[in-house]
Amino acid sequence: MKVSVNTEIAVTYLSSRKKQTLVAAMGVMFGVSMFIFMQSLMKGTNDYFEKMSFNTTPHIRLYSENKVADTHMMNNYLRDSSIKILDNPKQLIQRQGIINPYGVINQIQRDTRVAAITPQVTANVIYTSGSVQLNGTVAGVNITQEDKMFDVKGNMVTGNLEDLNHVNNSVLIGKGIADKLSLHTGDNITVGTGTGTPIVMRVIGIYSSGVKQVDETKSYTNITEAQNLLGKDRSYVTDIKINLKDYNAAPDVAPELETITGYKAEDWVQANSTLKTAFKIRAMILNSVVGVILLVAGFGIYNILNMTIYEKIKEIAILKAIGFSGASVISIFLQQAIYIGIMGGIIGVFFGFLTSYGFSKLYIGGSAPVGGTLNYIPMSFYMPHYVEAIVFGILTTIAAGYFPARKASRVDPVTIIRG
Amino acid sequence: MADIALMATGITKYFHDPVTTPVLKNIAIDVAKGEFVSIVGKSGCGKSTLLYVLSTMDRDYEGNLEINGVKATGRSLNDLAQLRNESIGFVFQFHYLLPDFNCLKNVMIPALRLGKLSYKEVESKAYEKLKMFGVEDQALKRADKLSGGQQQRVAIARALINDPAIIMGDEPTGNLDSKNTGIVFDLFQKLTQEFHQTIITVTHDEDFARRSDRIIEMADGEIKSHGRNK
Repeated sequence: MKVSVNTEIAVTYLSSRKKQTLVAAMGVMFGVSMFIFMQSLMKGTNDYFEKMSFNTTPHIRLYSENKVADTHMMNNYLRDSSIKILDNPKQLIQRQGIINPYGVINQIQRDTRVAAITPQVTANVIYTSGSVQLNGTVAGVNITQEDKMFDVKGNMVTGNLEDLNHVNNSVLIGKGIADKLSLHTGDNITVGTGTGTPIVMRVIGIYSSGVKQVDETKSYTNITEAQNLLGKDRSYVTDIKINLKDYNAAPDVAPELETITGYKAEDWVQANSTLKTAFKIRAMILNSVVGVILLVAGFGIYNILNMTIYEKIKEIAILKAIGFSGASVISIFLQQAIYIGIMGGIIGVFFGFLTSYGFSKLYIGGSAPVGGTLNYIPMSFYMPHYVEAIVFGILTTIAAGYFPARKASRVDPVTIIRG
Repeated sequence: MADIALMATGITKYFHDPVTTPVLKNIAIDVAKGEFVSIVGKSGCGKSTLLYVLSTMDRDYEGNLEINGVKATGRSLNDLAQLRNESIGFVFQFHYLLPDFNCLKNVMIPALRLGKLSYKEVESKAYEKLKMFGVEDQALKRADKLSGGQQQRVAIARALINDPAIIMGDEPTGNLDSKNTGIVFDLFQKLTQEFHQTIITVTHDEDFARRSDRIIEMADGEIKSHGRNK
């Protein structure tokens, strides 16, 4: 009962000044809808770039890395507790490639967090076509697995991916390489490494990943072909690429794999540290913009309630005279703020969704800046953003409404009524 | 003596602005239940100030105030608000209705605040009170659409809604014509005689004062006469 009287008064005050209420609610609405729009755009863009990076980078890459010499050999030899100091340690050449790669793969596959795993032989090569030479890398892969992990098929420009499995000495080249060397599907290209003999390979297809640097250097071939190119045996594998069920777990899983296998495990966050920094900076910029908008909306509410209190000061005095306590008066005015917040929040959510939806239909692919894969503005429709927006909107109004409400509760009825 | 509705002893109050001057000087007053008391005096003699002290709204005084045998001096703001809501009805010189609400709501609000009756019961009771003052046909109009006299009658109805033990009026009939003043006076009298409610009013209306049970005369912050020998 007690609450309902306060509520009734609050609602009456709001509805008797519809215009002011609406203006205040509009402020919140803009804040909330901008919040949603910004967050959706940011998450959409971030997701897009993450997905882009996963087109070329696995969640975790396991490879053999040269190590700096340490004292463990001396410990093994001397077997005493003396402290050894190694002066001026040097890099030690490790055996290139992973020892017993299929054993390692089997072991890692047993981890339930792992979604897919595939070996790769990476070779630095020189492509030769006619008299023109081009530096690049060849990735020897199992193309079926590779496609599952990185959607190579989606990037195909011409040719058939599966041919890599059954055409001898076949290669799938990037669009950049094809342009530079003027190659088409079915043409031949000489691929040579520093160690093995150059091999003439047949271009069975051309792909375009959208990343220029990749398209101009990288080509795919069968894993055995890559081993042939390098003049290595069938157990020679340079990288193991792992995709996890949840890519956010990569920074936790990678060190574990490092301990288990003894090889360097690089997660995608490390590999794309610039991307992550960009995300962070973007988040900071957008959050501060949204913060300012909500702050302005908050000041709007503060102003309107303050004005209301000056206008209603006699009525507040009357309410106190007929037995309303300070807490009731706070409740009356704070409720007005909260209703403004809820109203603005709900309209803002709708408006924010509509804006986001509208923008997600905006075609921007015309000039194909990144390989034509980004045709529409990437927008994510992520429920927690909407909840957060309403919560922030209402919190702002409560904060903005509290101070005028407290002022109202301190009105001294005697001075007001006696004039 | 009969039951005491209100007892004040040693009430002293100062105004501090611009210089500290005493407005009430060691005032002692007691009002029995069912008594109809008028406080009269020249402007500035402190009678309104006294009324606001007695109403518990003004807490800045020295002395002791008891309402219905319960000490009101030194209690918290919330306690006093509750006390006013329950046992004091207030009528001001100017009506002071809430203009955003209709008359019925204005009358209902103190009762809703008290929360002892259901909404329906409060509504019918409010109608009853409006009827007493002949303004029930204005019940659903917004308070600021009524004439001054009607507004004042609604304000008195509001003061009565919780059946308060004490009704205080600061020139309650100051804005009413003689006919309406008569209606209000008769009603006040009826309240004291039939329902044993206590009425304390500050008034300039000599006729009104003369017809009440007792006249307390004030001058220069002191009580000149308690008017007991009537």
